[in-house]
Amino acid sequence: MSNAKPVSIVMIEDDEGHARLIEKNIRRAGVNNEIIPFQNGTDALAFLFGADGAGEASSRRQLLILLDLNLPDMAGVDILEKVKANQHTRRSPVIVLTTTDDSREIQRCYDLGANVYITKPVDYEGFANAIKQLGLFFSVMQVPETE
Amino acid sequence: MPISQAQFLRSNLILLAGAGIALLVIVIAAFWLTRASERQFDEVVAFRETRSATADLLSLAQDAETGQRGYLLSRDAAYLRPYTDAIARFEPTLQRLKASAGAAELAQAEVSRLEGALRGKLTELAQTIAVAERGAWDDALATVRQGSGRNLMDDVRVGLGSIIAQSEQRLQRAIAGQETASTRLRWTITLGALVIILFAAAAFWTIVRYTREIIAARSEVTALNIGLEQRVQQRTEALTRANEEIQRFAYIVTHDLRAPLVNIMGFTSELEATAAPIKAYFDAGEAATPAALEEARIAVDADLPEAISFIRSSTRKMDGLINAILKISREGKRVLRAEAIDLPAALQAAAAAVHHQASENGDGITVESPPLKIRSDRLSIEQIFGNLLDNAIKYRSPKRELKVVMRAKREKSGWVVIEVEDNGRGIAPTDHERIFELFRRSGAQDKPGEGIGLAHVRTIVRNLGGDITVSSELDAGTTFSILLPPDLSAVQRSTAT
Repeated sequence: MSNAKPVSIVMIEDDEGHARLIEKNIRRAGVNNEIIPFQNGTDALAFLFGADGAGEASSRRQLLILLDLNLPDMAGVDILEKVKANQHTRRSPVIVLTTTDDSREIQRCYDLGANVYITKPVDYEGFANAIKQLGLFFSVMQVPETE
Repeated sequence: MPISQAQFLRSNLILLAGAGIALLVIVIAAFWLTRASERQFDEVVAFRETRSATADLLSLAQDAETGQRGYLLSRDAAYLRPYTDAIARFEPTLQRLKASAGAAELAQAEVSRLEGALRGKLTELAQTIAVAERGAWDDALATVRQGSGRNLMDDVRVGLGSIIAQSEQRLQRAIAGQETASTRLRWTITLGALVIILFAAAAFWTIVRYTREIIAARSEVTALNIGLEQRVQQRTEALTRANEEIQRFAYIVTHDLRAPLVNIMGFTSELEATAAPIKAYFDAGEAATPAALEEARIAVDADLPEAISFIRSSTRKMDGLINAILKISREGKRVLRAEAIDLPAALQAAAAAVHHQASENGDGITVESPPLKIRSDRLSIEQIFGNLLDNAIKYRSPKRELKVVMRAKREKSGWVVIEVEDNGRGIAPTDHERIFELFRRSGAQDKPGEGIGLAHVRTIVRNLGGDITVSSELDAGTTFSILLPPDLSAVQRSTAT
């Protein structure tokens, strides 16, 4: 992530333990960008679109969104849909990181504009590996500035 | 009461047999009475014959006497003509009388006395004529004058008169008998006809009733057929829905159980990793660098407790999830007991249980319901409304005083609709289905909860054969509508078969 403005990673993950493990492994890959964690969709939407929900708040930000689909208060898919529908956030890469490997769910996410879909491996070695590789991927990825 | 086919056949046979017996009685009575009438008619004919023969005999006797007198007075043989004619016809007429008197069963004594008198008279006449023919006219006249002939003639008249009177009397009796017989016949026929008409009417009525029942049964079958298709469709829809729910449930359960599992495995590995710097520090012993000491300190002070606390919280979470799943599955297995429930009273009781939480003065929850009774499981009903009221209180809007209205009414179909309407914070349209799913919650997660309540409520309502729906507007309020069948036992029967 060589842009002048530092990229912020928005991590929407309801499980605190998962959030911590993801963070640890991303750091292990040498990614030192700011990680902004949210444990539920309501708070995440408030951050992404501001209090008025217009999305103006995300203007001129460089965001990368890590999204879990199963959130306690709303469906992750709804957040994905909102992010990709809003002109201020639609260019931000969204990486769906979830436990579901249901093919219909995967299709639906790509249809809605998800950039990457990753199923969390159940065994920790696989999980850690996947996150590390994702971290390495982040380090070479270009993230556009939002409108 | 519907007539069975066997009953119908039996009653019709009975009616037919009854009508047949009535007809037979009429025929026998008519036959018997006709025979009686015929017999009496024969008698009448015989009496008439007797009477006419008797009258003829009298007339013949008179003719013969007239001829004798004319001959004796005129001494002209031509005057003897009525006499000879009468004599010639006498025997056959007497035989006629005898025969008819025999047929009419008249007293033979009378007839033979009359015959004797007649023959005496005829003998007297023959004697006087024979005397006169010999030329002894005066002798003959003297014999006549003697009066023995007149006496005989009087006897004849009396005898004949008595026979005529007797036969007249018997004739009248026979005619009366005939009239009685014909009256009886008329009555028998009238009554018999009446009985037959009654039987026919009864049979007709039975047939009409039976036919009507057949028509009613047929239209019912048609209606049932149509209803059957509808029911099959409803069942198919319910099955599809249930199947989708099971898939969704399985998905949720696997996901939600998998998440803490990943944590446990992850932090176990992390725990292992924290052992490395500690081991390195101890292995180095005296030669340990300050950096190694610092790393070991971080591992012991921060990483180790963190990993352990996550492992602990994850196992606790898994335990909670498994317990919740067990609770729901037990609810599905609980045997429901249908009993009569006074619905307004049950709603009032549910409201009373949470009044102190709902508002200070206790008027936050109101029940609007006509007197309404349903047969359902009491515990389930209590759980449904207890849960819904708990939610209404938990997710009340901080901006206004809580108002909950519970409204019950009976639909045309007999089903009961209960609405629980609150003025709380409301539910976003995208979450209207999600709220009923296990471990899912809606809106800001600022209240404690596991996301079980509504999933549980829906399971209970479906077990009762009903359904629950929600309509809600964010920041305005939420209305849950519960549709319940009037009788749980009917639902249990139909699902059992």
